[in-house]
Amino acid sequence: MSTATLAPVATAQRPLAVRLADSWAQTGLLIQWQLRRSAQSLPLLVLVQILLSVATIAGYGLLVGHPDHLAGLYLATGAPTVALITVGLVMTPQAVSQSRTEGSLDWLRTLPVPRGLFLVADLTVWTLIALPGLVLGIIAGAIRFDADLAPTWWLVPAALIVSLTSAAVGYAMASMLAPTVAQLMSQVLVFVVLLFTPISFPADRMPDWAQNLHAWLPLEPMAQVIRAGLAPHDFTVPGRSWIVLGVWCLAAVVGAGSALRKRG
Amino acid sequence: MDEVLRVRDLHKRFGRGPSAVQANAGVDLDVDAGQVVGLLGHNGAGKSTLVNQVVGLLRPDSGTITLAGVDAVADPDAARRLASVQAQANVPITGLTPRRAVELVGRIRGGRTADVRARTEHLIAALDLGPWANTPAEKVSGGIARLTAFAMTAVVPGRLVVLDEPTNDVDPVRRRLLWSQIRALADDGAAVLLVTHNVREAERVVDHLAVLDQGTVLAAGTPAELTAARSGHLSLEVDLIPGRQPHWPEGSTVVDRGHLRATTTVPAAQAAAAVQWAGDEQSAGRIERYALAPTSLEDVYVDLVATTEEHAA
Ligand SMILES: Nc1ncnc2c1ncn2[C@@H]1O[C@H](COP(=O)(O)OP(=O)(O)O)[C@@H](O)[C@H]1O
Ligand SMILES: [Mg+2]
Repeated sequence: MSTATLAPVATAQRPLAVRLADSWAQTGLLIQWQLRRSAQSLPLLVLVQILLSVATIAGYGLLVGHPDHLAGLYLATGAPTVALITVGLVMTPQAVSQSRTEGSLDWLRTLPVPRGLFLVADLTVWTLIALPGLVLGIIAGAIRFDADLAPTWWLVPAALIVSLTSAAVGYAMASMLAPTVAQLMSQVLVFVVLLFTPISFPADRMPDWAQNLHAWLPLEPMAQVIRAGLAPHDFTVPGRSWIVLGVWCLAAVVGAGSALRKRG
Repeated sequence: MDEVLRVRDLHKRFGRGPSAVQANAGVDLDVDAGQVVGLLGHNGAGKSTLVNQVVGLLRPDSGTITLAGVDAVADPDAARRLASVQAQANVPITGLTPRRAVELVGRIRGGRTADVRARTEHLIAALDLGPWANTPAEKVSGGIARLTAFAMTAVVPGRLVVLDEPTNDVDPVRRRLLWSQIRALADDGAAVLLVTHNVREAERVVDHLAVLDQGTVLAAGTPAELTAARSGHLSLEVDLIPGRQPHWPEGSTVVDRGHLRATTTVPAAQAAAAVQWAGDEQSAGRIERYALAPTSLEDVYVDLVATTEEHAA
């Protein structure tokens, strides 16, 4: 019987450059795996995401009619922010919970792939899913509220940080909590993000205690960086917000990574 | 031979207090390169728990696992680079086809594209997966999914290949093909740890066996060693008739196998007398059917496990 030659198994000690090249290739392959596995639901997810973002703009429009310049800016920048955050905080935990229940996650964990790469691959996929909704939401907002948006160059890295942080929080949540609890949590979070976070309105409309709470959560800083990135003439990001966001981003990535490494 | 896997005094307990389960209670196990080692044991014996500790999904309470010289407990990442695993649960691959899934996993495991392609085609042909290779995974049967999962493990095999019940749901014809591919993995130099219920079929493929029960290794050895104590004996298998009691020969020890089956051991010298007895019982309508066969590994296995069960009861 003829046997095709077996590829040699990677050994533990290899030069850093080789390991980096391998990691790069493996990340690409993992992304391919995830995208192909969700090929059927992917267009729908992106579509829902776009609808959510555009519909939020339309809904805000119905609620407020014709707002003044500043309120218009809040609404036009808030809707895409909400859409971006929900991908990470809602869709990511739902997908992770599902892959835990169906056994995908445990199988993936037996592959000879550094844990960090799973995270990188997954977060990339979720960011890709979120982007079309973000862009179309921004355009719809600018038109509906006649907002003179002037996106800056750093809007791109800022959006990536927001997407990364919310997806990592969602990922960590879904990896550490029981699937049913994680699902429930994510549904509560949509509500909080949509209505009780100063994303589409100024923070001073909230009671003091809520303002104090949001000073420590990552949601308000997320809204601030997107808002200021889209309308830099009207808004700036307080230095403190960058720090709060950065700390959350780091903590969430570390938390999600260690959840992946955990052994029962 | 080249030692690849070495497990010593492995302990793993789930939960605390009175409801705790001691899934592994001091397991020792060795697998060398070029060997297929069968791990037998009924449901809940602790087989999967052992496997999951080898690949770093579970952390042992105590004991050591050495994989090609690497401490697998301290460095699970390194262990995973040395092992490939087919888990007991099937891998969900909806959205992919068997061929795509095998190729992608081969490349994720670090195989070169051309090698992986060739090896994938080889496995698809060898397991007769051709008719299903390009079918979306949601339309393939459980057996084909199981074979695909095997191919995903064998496409770029590690120094150690762990197969947790690979033959489940696989049809008899393809099961033969699968057994020969399992053998081929070892012949190509891998150390193969094979978890199975299928004692009868495994017997022909494995070099070495360990019987696990309630977290401990009850017996270990080659199939010949394990059946040696019974050489010179035959096994008389009897299908019973509901409500009827056969008149067993004087002094025979009868083991009830359940499902209206019973067996007894007969010295080879008395084979003719045993057949005479069984024929008479059948004519008298006290047994349905009988068969006389050399003592199989399955008999030894069932006896081993049954004995501890009586002790436990
Ligand atoms: N994650 C777990 N939590 C609690 N108990 C478990 C877990 N995994 C296995 N067990 C228990 O440990 C014992 C051994 O299980 P397992 O290793 O799956 O057996 P096998 O694979 O031999 O059928 C069983 O009693 C099982 O219920
Ligand atoms: Mg099992």
